Parts: sequence; C-alpha cells; structure tokens
Amino acid sequence: MEDKKKKKLKSKIKRNVVGWLIMLPTLILFTFFVWYPLVKNIIISFFDTYDMNNFVFLQNYQDVFKDDYFISAFVNTFKYILWSIIIGFFIPMIVGLFLSEIIHFKGFFRVAIYIPCMLSGIAVVFLFQNIYGDEAYSILNVIRSLFGMERMDFRSNADIVIPLIVVAMTWKGFGGTSLIYMSNFQDIDTNLYEASRIDGASPMQRFFKITLPLMKPTILTLLILQIISVFQVFYEPMIIAGQTATSAMSLMQLSYYYFTKMEDTKSAATSVILALIIIIITIIYFTIVNKLNNSKEKSK
Amino acid sequence: MKHKDKKTLEFKPKRLKDKLSGIMNFSDYRKIHNRIIYSLFIILLVFFVLVALVPIIWLFITSFKTIQEINSTKYQLFPEVFDITKIFKVWEKMNLLRYYGNTLIVVIGSIICSVIFNGLLAYVIGVIKPVGHKIIHVMVLLGYMIPSALSIVPLFMEITKVGMINSYLPLCLTFGANAYYYMLLKNSFEKTPKSFIEAARIDGLGDIKIFFKVVIPLNKSIIGVVAIFTMTASYCDFLLPKLVLQNEDLATIMVYIYNLGTMTTPTFDTSDFLLLLVISMIPQIILFIIFQKQILGGATAGGVKE
Repeated sequence: MEDKKKKKLKSKIKRNVVGWLIMLPTLILFTFFVWYPLVKNIIISFFDTYDMNNFVFLQNYQDVFKDDYFISAFVNTFKYILWSIIIGFFIPMIVGLFLSEIIHFKGFFRVAIYIPCMLSGIAVVFLFQNIYGDEAYSILNVIRSLFGMERMDFRSNADIVIPLIVVAMTWKGFGGTSLIYMSNFQDIDTNLYEASRIDGASPMQRFFKITLPLMKPTILTLLILQIISVFQVFYEPMIIAGQTATSAMSLMQLSYYYFTKMEDTKSAATSVILALIIIIITIIYFTIVNKLNNSKEKSK
Repeated sequence: MKHKDKKTLEFKPKRLKDKLSGIMNFSDYRKIHNRIIYSLFIILLVFFVLVALVPIIWLFITSFKTIQEINSTKYQLFPEVFDITKIFKVWEKMNLLRYYGNTLIVVIGSIICSVIFNGLLAYVIGVIKPVGHKIIHVMVLLGYMIPSALSIVPLFMEITKVGMINSYLPLCLTFGANAYYYMLLKNSFEKTPKSFIEAARIDGLGDIKIFFKVVIPLNKSIIGVVAIFTMTASYCDFLLPKLVLQNEDLATIMVYIYNLGTMTTPTFDTSDFLLLLVISMIPQIILFIIFQKQILGGATAGGVKE
C-alpha cells in the first residue's frame, strides 16, 4: 500500500515538473512581450526617465494634462466614439440580418463583404488617404467636380476629417462584425418564430418582439468591443490627417508622438490614462447593463 | 460535437418556397409584399458589396494609369492603355523581391512560433493541468484584455536592451505569446480523447512527443486556423516591425509601404505607389479565396456567444 501511494505521489510530482518545464518557454515569451511591459509601463509613468532615476510621482501626468495636444486628443476620442456609433454601429447589424435571412447567393455575399477585412490596415489607410486627397485623381474630388464644385482638401478640413476616418475604419471592419451578427441571428431558435407565426404575429412584430430581445446581449457586447477598439485608433489619423494634426489626433497617437520625441515617461503616462479611461468606461457600461437586467427580472 | 450535429442537419433551401428557418419562412413569402421586401434585402446587400469592392477596384484601375494621366485635370476613369506588365516593372523598380522575401521570413517564423509556443501552453494547461494552471490561465487572459499597443514603450526598450533591433526574432516570437490563439488551441485540445493520450503514455512516450505525435495530428483543423490567422496577422503587422526594423533593407512590405507613403519628398510616381498597394493586397485576396472556409468559420466562431 505504502509503495503504491509513494509511486502515485512520485508520478504526480513528475507530472507537475514536466508540465511547468514544457510551458516555461511560452511563459517567458508572455513575460517579455505582455506582462513585463505592461507593469513597467505603469511604473515608469511615475519616474522622470526610463531608467527610473528620480521618482516624480504625478509630474508626468500633470505635464500631459497641461499639453494642448492632450486636450484636443481627449476631446477627439469622444468625437470618434460618437461618429463610430453613428456610422459603424447599425450597418453591420443590418447586413448581418439580411445575410441571415436570404438564401440566394449567400456564399458570394459573405465572401465579397469580408474582403476588406482581409486587407492590411496600413494598405487600407493609404488607399483612403488617396481617396480623400486633393489630387486630381482623388475620387471624392472628382465627384465634387462633376457637380461643379471646387476641389477641396478633405484631409485638412477639421470638421469632417474624423467622420472620414471613421468611414475608412468602418469600411475595413464591417464585414467581420456582420458575419458575427449573421451567425448570432441564425442561432435563434426557429421554433420561437414558428410559435409566434401560429399566434398570428407579422414579420415586423416577430423581429421586434423575438429577434431584438434575444439579440440584445450580442448587440451590447459588440457595442462595447467597438468602443474599446475605437479608443485605440492610431495610424488611421496619423496617416490620413497627419502626424501632428490636432484635428484628428487620438490619445494613442499622442502617446506614440511623445515616444518618437523620446519623451518615454510622458508616453507611458498617456497610455496609462488611456487604459484607465477604457477600464472605467467598461465598468460603467457593465454596471448599467446589469442594472437594466436586474430591474427587468424584478418587474417579472 | 453539438456543432457537427447541427451542420449535418442543416438544410440549405434553394427556393423561397422551401425556406423553413429565419424570421420569414415559406409561408410569409406567399404574400407578394414580403417577396418585395426580400428583393429589397438582396438589392441592399448588392449595394453593400459594391461599397466593399468599389474602393479596391478604383485603386486597381487608377494604379495602371501613367503619371501624366493621374495628374491631368481631365478625369478619365480608365487608363488609356491597360499595361499588365507595369506590375513587373514596379516590382523591379522598387526591388520588391527583397521586401517580399523579408516578409516571407517573418511570416513563416511567426507561424512556427505561434503554433508551437501557444500550442505547448495550451497542451499543458488544457491536458496536463499542473498545480497553478488556473492562475496562469487567468493571467494570460488578463493580458489579452489590455491592448498590447499600450505597452509599446517598455517593449521597444527591452528589445533594444537584449540587442534584437534589426532582427526578425522578436517579430516572430511575439506571435508565440498570443492569448487568442492560446484559447482557440486550448478549447480544441481539451476535447482530444483522453484514451489516445493515455495510450501513448503507456507506450512510453514523453509529453513533448505526445504533443507532436498525438495532439497535433488530432487537432489539425484548429492548428490550420491558427496558422492562417497568424499568417494574415503577421503579414499585416506594422507597429512593432516599424520600430524594430530600423535598417530599411530589412523592412517588411508593410513597413516599406509606410516608409514610402510618409516620405516628405516622394521619390516615386504616385501611380507606382498605388500599384504597390495593389500588389500588397494580392496575396491576401488569394489566400482568402483559398482558405475562405477556415477564415470565415474562424470569423464567426471567434465572435460572441453569450
């Protein structure tokens, strides 16, 4: 008996040791590429240089807050969110719904709509830079001239550059989101529709009374994912509007700008602020969603 | 398993008369106004397809114009002569072979790192489950929630410190620490029948051998998906390559495009640059057409399921 127990213990220990040894290389990679930079980023935001010579506590944050670039970047972030909800939130939902309902050419539509998602972000941004430009071949200006309007540089026009960047981002991303919506629309139980049909509900009623309530979790999750990804918009404004154009500068871009100016600690502080905003918005969002769900359950 | 059953039961109707599922089924389509709504759906989808494709087609057409045509104030949609050999001329002129070669090295290295490192972690946590595997799992996922671009300063500094500037190594290795691929692999590995692994262990195989000889062959499809995802991600990757590859001869194709596109005094024709964009898109579109089943499957499976 004793012997058997010992053997079992031995094999258990061996298993643990071997397991940890096998995953050690990957853990080193995660440490080097993910965990350590994350922690270090927070730490150096309280120091004066990357080598951490002097602890300056919130000095970097104060400097960043005083910077005019930061104020415009902060305001721009919310402009981006607003526009991305107006332009980019409903289109994938509608396309996903249509895709789930149709039976003709479904494969073709799916593939064609997904193609922009496959392209690299950099190539797409340069494509749109040329579409929005003021050169003779830029298609927006060609269309304007058809209507007898003068050529115009969309990229340096502060009023519309953010919506235009959001259009480019939406163009690149809507295919993937549409497919997620499509598969979630298709997952809805057909029996529910069948039952409502027997009760005499019209397709419109079915959509608003069955489809939408069932889709609510998907819609809410995709909305928050969209907001989080919009916070990280970065090379789109950098290339379309310009490196230091305040009209479209995002927080992420500001962080990179400090980095290129060798102000590492200010860059770190900016990215910590950005991460905090993302975390706070996510928390607020989920508290609201939970409250809504709770109050509904109570009323039931 | 559930997924598979659903697939076999799935019935693909060819005519509206046979449509059983969805908000509107065959009985609704007996009414003429619902049929009109259906054709509206199709028309709108055609519109969205055009929205998705027209910019690419415009880029393709414009890139074949000569520099005179591009800058002329009289706009013509199509180039006067459609010279397909322009692709090869630009290829030669811009020395694209070098940049594509660089990209190929990075992409292949990334795929190997991604499958092996994420795979080993997924195998240990999903199958061996040593003490502390839950903590590691949570830590990996936490890293996933926080955008990686936020930690670019320390990452770049550390890469500099260990002397990997102008090396492809960090660009490949970074794909070995990816929480999303890890999750995909772990979910699949956990479903590998225990009996296969036990049998291999009784035969005296070590865990590394079990991973390569049993687990990988049994999970070919998910490894294919991870490889394809890594391939596109690595091909499109920009920020880290841009920072690490400071020697312009080492640039990958995306870094090269960025370097050219942000030049203050361009040394090239605009039409050549547009054609370069087209050339950079071609591999992705070809890959997509070949692997569309895996890519579209991954695009929907990776989504929300709550």
